Amino acid sequence: MVTVGMMSFAHMHAASYAACLKGLPNARLAAVADDDEARGREMADRFGANYYASYEALLGSGVDAVVICTENARHRQMTLLAAAAGKHVLCEKPLATNVVDAMAMVAACKQAGVQLMTAFPCRFHPAMQRVKALVDEGKIGRILAIRGTNRGRNPGGWFIELEKSGGGAVMDHTVHVTDLIRWLTGAEVSEVYAEIGNLINHGAFEDVGFLTLQLDNGVFATLDSSWSRPKAYPFWGDVTLEVVGEAGVISMNMFAQNLVLYSDKAGCVQWANWGSNMDLGLVRAFVDAIESGTPVPITGEDGLKAVEVVAAAYRSADKVAPVQLPMPS
Amino acid sequence: MGATHGAAYKQMPDVTLVGVCDVGPVEPTRLADNLGTRSFPSLEAMLQAGPQVVDICVPTPWHKECCLAAASAGCHVICEKPLARTLPDARAMIDACANAGVSLFPAHVLRFFPQYASAKAMIDDGAIGTPAAIRTFRGDGFPQGYEDWYADFQKSGGLVLDMIIHDFDWLRWCFGPVQRVFAKGLASRVHEHRDYALVTLRMRSGPICHVEGTWTHPGGFNATLEAVGDAGMIEFAGSATDPVHVRLRDGQGGQGGVPVPESPLAVDPYYAELRHFVDCLTAGATPIVTAEDGYRALEIALAALESIQTGRVIALTEGA
Repeated sequence: MVTVGMMSFAHMHAASYAACLKGLPNARLAAVADDDEARGREMADRFGANYYASYEALLGSGVDAVVICTENARHRQMTLLAAAAGKHVLCEKPLATNVVDAMAMVAACKQAGVQLMTAFPCRFHPAMQRVKALVDEGKIGRILAIRGTNRGRNPGGWFIELEKSGGGAVMDHTVHVTDLIRWLTGAEVSEVYAEIGNLINHGAFEDVGFLTLQLDNGVFATLDSSWSRPKAYPFWGDVTLEVVGEAGVISMNMFAQNLVLYSDKAGCVQWANWGSNMDLGLVRAFVDAIESGTPVPITGEDGLKAVEVVAAAYRSADKVAPVQLPMPS
Repeated sequence: MGATHGAAYKQMPDVTLVGVCDVGPVEPTRLADNLGTRSFPSLEAMLQAGPQVVDICVPTPWHKECCLAAASAGCHVICEKPLARTLPDARAMIDACANAGVSLFPAHVLRFFPQYASAKAMIDDGAIGTPAAIRTFRGDGFPQGYEDWYADFQKSGGLVLDMIIHDFDWLRWCFGPVQRVFAKGLASRVHEHRDYALVTLRMRSGPICHVEGTWTHPGGFNATLEAVGDAGMIEFAGSATDPVHVRLRDGQGGQGGVPVPESPLAVDPYYAELRHFVDCLTAGATPIVTAEDGYRALEIALAALESIQTGRVIALTEGA
């Protein structure tokens, strides 16, 4: 049995992770802390956990592990607190808003002897697991190129307050597909080119991000990380991959398993996804690894590698030139 | 493409097909029979018969010599895209036609496909607000051609020059000049009968465009389009919009063969394109797509190839 505390519900994924924890036989969601006391108490009530007025108090309550879903820019501070208290960490993506913070988090957890897992749930979606299995079986031969998208709507709130989010769409949506590409290919990103714009919301944050990635095994890829789904779009967004191999092509649309609702009440068309809950696979993998003392399947280093790509994308857009990885610090 | 164009002309009561010829040693007698016209052993021989217009559908590397011969014979020229394999060749063709006082029409037929023409009209009408993020896809298996010329990169330029130049032209038509190009692709593997390219364009007017092209996708042709602006999004879902699907029982337990999708139209886009060019000639009017547009589309495609080959961002000067 692994006892878990939730550190903030600022990120909307937190409620889903909490619900997943409740459904696991070997996990107990025991503690909640949140800067927003009303939100924290409400979530503690909803999930039958104790509310703590401070993160320090939560960490002193005897939990084995924590799930961190604060605003992006506070991941470092929370992770360092948890590591110092000897707690294993599942941290929401992006792991950090810059490479220095991500490296500090990885180092702190290593030094404290606790595990750090990055929340990349897409790896656990059955559609993605099927793609990974087909690629590993050699079904499409050697991979030549990948075209990916992770588009969404502008989430608003703290996501567009740069001091909390660290960036707009590129910060929010680059890391998932970058991680999937690294996972599929077993290769590292060696170069990033990015065209970025604040062309939809016309705010201080970018909402269009078209990235081109060169991998160190010769594979090239592009990734659309834009918040380009209109309010009228029937779903929050997408994760798609086109994997081009020497012997064939695999196309994946992760959230294609939808019912279509034509609602006179809502006055619009909506997609109701009946696909599997990928968050459950993520949370279960974390809890199982902590319980059995085995390595978590997605590490802090994986999170760091994706953050490096984000940082390189911003630098590339500034320089209007491709940027090599690793970047000099 | 020659057969497609020929069939379109055959439908036009005010057009007479003088004849057909080809670049190879084999005279296209069967095509001539099918079109109800005669064949010639060479372009020179066909020009002797005195056509007013020459429609060039030979492989790209022969465009220039055919165009120059036609222009010097005083014929107007309709030329398949890409206009030429190189910019100097394209410029020579434009200059030769201008000097000869004949018209040169580049066959960028995508502008005559109703879904692309309608999307452009809607965008111009403000349907998506200010354009922001545009994505296109165009793909098929590897094409077959005369002496496998598509597999010779020096001749065909691969799919970037031969196929997604359609999308480059459409994007420039909608959003104006391209500021810069960055691209990755398999151009160096065209000889293996595979090609795939991912091209990012920054338009001078602001929007960012992504063009995906493939000649390595089994399963038939498809093309899609998505245009997002600050007030909405237009999507053309490609083959998902095909209104007719034919599935035939194969007589072996009713398993059936491969379904064949169709998207029938009252007016074939190739017919619409050639009808427009003929009408422009008759009226002396400026076409929807000019030779200069063909030159600029070629410039974008060659910039994408240069980016693929050098790994660099390629800046263009049009509209600077």
